Amino acid sequence: MFDAMHTPDNVLLVGGSSDIGVEIAKSLARRGTTRFVLAGRDLEAMQRSANAISSVATGEGVSVSVIFYDVVAEKSYQALLEVASTELETIDYAIFATGALGDQDEDENSPASTLEILEINFSKLAPAILNVANHMSKQGFGQIVVLSSVAGIRVRRSNFIYGSAKAGLDGFAMALGESLIDKGVKVTVVRPGFVKTKMTSHLKAAPLSTTPEEVAKATLAATDHQNASVYVPSAIGLVIGVYRHLPRALARKIPF
Amino acid sequence: MKTQRQLLNGWGRTQKVTSEVVDLKQITDTENIFSEANGAGVIARGMGRAYGDAAQIAGGRVVIQEDRIDDSQLSGNHLTVHGGVSLNSILNSYVPKGYFVPVTPGTRYVSVGGAIAADIHGKNHHLDGTFTNHVSQFELITPTGTHQIDKDLDEDIFWATAGGMGLTGIIVKATFEMIPIESAYIKMETRRCTNLDELMAVMLGSDDKFRYSVAWIDLMAKGGDIGRSVLTRGDHAILDELHGKRAEQPLKYVANTKLEAPKWIPTGTLNTVSIKAFNELWYRKAPKLRQDQIATLASFFHPLDGVGSWNRIYGNSGFLQYQFVVPNGQEETLRKIVERLSAAGVASFLAVLKRFGAENKGLLSFPRPGWTLALDIPIGQENLSSLLNELDDEVLGVGGRIYLAKDSRASGPTIHKMYPEIDKFAMIKSKLDPNGLIKSDLSRRLGLI
Repeated sequence: MFDAMHTPDNVLLVGGSSDIGVEIAKSLARRGTTRFVLAGRDLEAMQRSANAISSVATGEGVSVSVIFYDVVAEKSYQALLEVASTELETIDYAIFATGALGDQDEDENSPASTLEILEINFSKLAPAILNVANHMSKQGFGQIVVLSSVAGIRVRRSNFIYGSAKAGLDGFAMALGESLIDKGVKVTVVRPGFVKTKMTSHLKAAPLSTTPEEVAKATLAATDHQNASVYVPSAIGLVIGVYRHLPRALARKIPF
Repeated sequence: MKTQRQLLNGWGRTQKVTSEVVDLKQITDTENIFSEANGAGVIARGMGRAYGDAAQIAGGRVVIQEDRIDDSQLSGNHLTVHGGVSLNSILNSYVPKGYFVPVTPGTRYVSVGGAIAADIHGKNHHLDGTFTNHVSQFELITPTGTHQIDKDLDEDIFWATAGGMGLTGIIVKATFEMIPIESAYIKMETRRCTNLDELMAVMLGSDDKFRYSVAWIDLMAKGGDIGRSVLTRGDHAILDELHGKRAEQPLKYVANTKLEAPKWIPTGTLNTVSIKAFNELWYRKAPKLRQDQIATLASFFHPLDGVGSWNRIYGNSGFLQYQFVVPNGQEETLRKIVERLSAAGVASFLAVLKRFGAENKGLLSFPRPGWTLALDIPIGQENLSSLLNELDDEVLGVGGRIYLAKDSRASGPTIHKMYPEIDKFAMIKSKLDPNGLIKSDLSRRLGLI
């Protein structure tokens, strides 16, 4: 259940070792959330996440469990919900933080890699989100957080495979939120710019880059106010708002 | 049976959930109320004035009743009405006949079922106790059947249901004693107090001379102004005290909603600055002392009902009400809490301070002899949660408690310590509801049963 400050009792983190996902979970733990389920592939890394979450929790009797989930596995959307709904009496707050950046230059020459990036970031993730959303709709309430990216707002030449997958995810999640408006279920789409995480550690930071802590803070502020979407940092929303409407000939000249 | 999934929330507009809403009149066989509900549970809902999540069950079934007074029965001073009937309807029908409700909270938009379930109190608690003190019997629909509960014959169920937050069953009928009145007016005294000590001294010294008494404190005031307040007290006016038009029609009852809050107000419209300005104005306009003023029942008891849907003024994030009681002799704790709230700059309109009289046998009833303070707080202030948790501990430490009908954020373990008779309550409930079908989001959140 939620309390009046929109602090949930039970949280499902999909992408249990995601730097951003774990930061959001830690922020909730600091507020008093006591029950977490982390879902992902790397059990060892998730155990470290679990310890990090437990160590900052303020509520009584904190419990974090770790379950295996591979977004691209056959019917993984079904397994995810089955396990999560067994572990948690109600799924109050679900964070979808899985994702893979890929390597644009290599992936352009590999249809198989292209498919994988699309599956991880969008086509196999969307059914999992939908399945949880339908479950929440039945339970009569819930909050879903979907990690999108500014890369999906206007897809760029330099990373159009990842970007188009995020574009699909963003559109899917925004419209899903619309469809749930009178069901007591809220969807919040989070659109960070460049975030300094282990996923991006090999890359040079882009302008207006941010941190997982900042993304977590902005995410909680957005879910507290039940906003449909949020840019992190907020300034990047203004930049992308202009950039997305630039004529192509002009956009092509901008070096990122 | 026609059912409908609806988005519901409490008066504070915080936890919004969907439930299947069923009108009791559409249910031909009352056994079906519980058997056809899906696993999530069933709870009754009255006027939806509980601040938090007491009258909703996400994914479950919410049973509502009509506010129809047409077949109410008055026998002597005893009135029998349906559970869904509001105090508003009762006042409209019975004030002109010379009767007032035994207890009314700050709003007349509460149902009789809700009044019993929350065991409501009003400005006369120091003399008259709670609403259920004046109830003699009620009819309760439970999964084990429909029971006629008499205060003297079925003490256990009666006092589990009084204050039981609807968790023992659906109250569909009740009989209670009305107060005979000569007029629809209150003879009122207004007194301004410059600080908390002065206020408490006046209340202790002379509250018992007035049937009704309540004080409003400005929690935004700082320094030497901490605890500045306006105390209003009064009694039902008798005929001899009325003049002019009022004397000609002494029982003419007028209670209108004059304004409607706008549908959409930006979050943050009410902030420290705007609330401070309001409170300042309100304090300045109160007289130092004014006696024998004649006020209408509505303006004395239900000033906020003059603005329809006033709960919308807090914007989309909503608000909560924090209400606690500390026992007599614990005035220091009360002072400490008032000081902490003032220091924290918690943006609140006036807080209400009231002296409680004797407690009753309600297992989960809130009032006990002492001081109760209630204040509205908009959601969104940094560290509000931890501040209130710390205040809970202060209250608990001196044997006080917080009011379940107002709660939307407390922790289960704290509530269990505040209400030590909760186990006895659970035992009585399990006899009426052996499979635990009656639940609310409140009971789930706090692990009440």
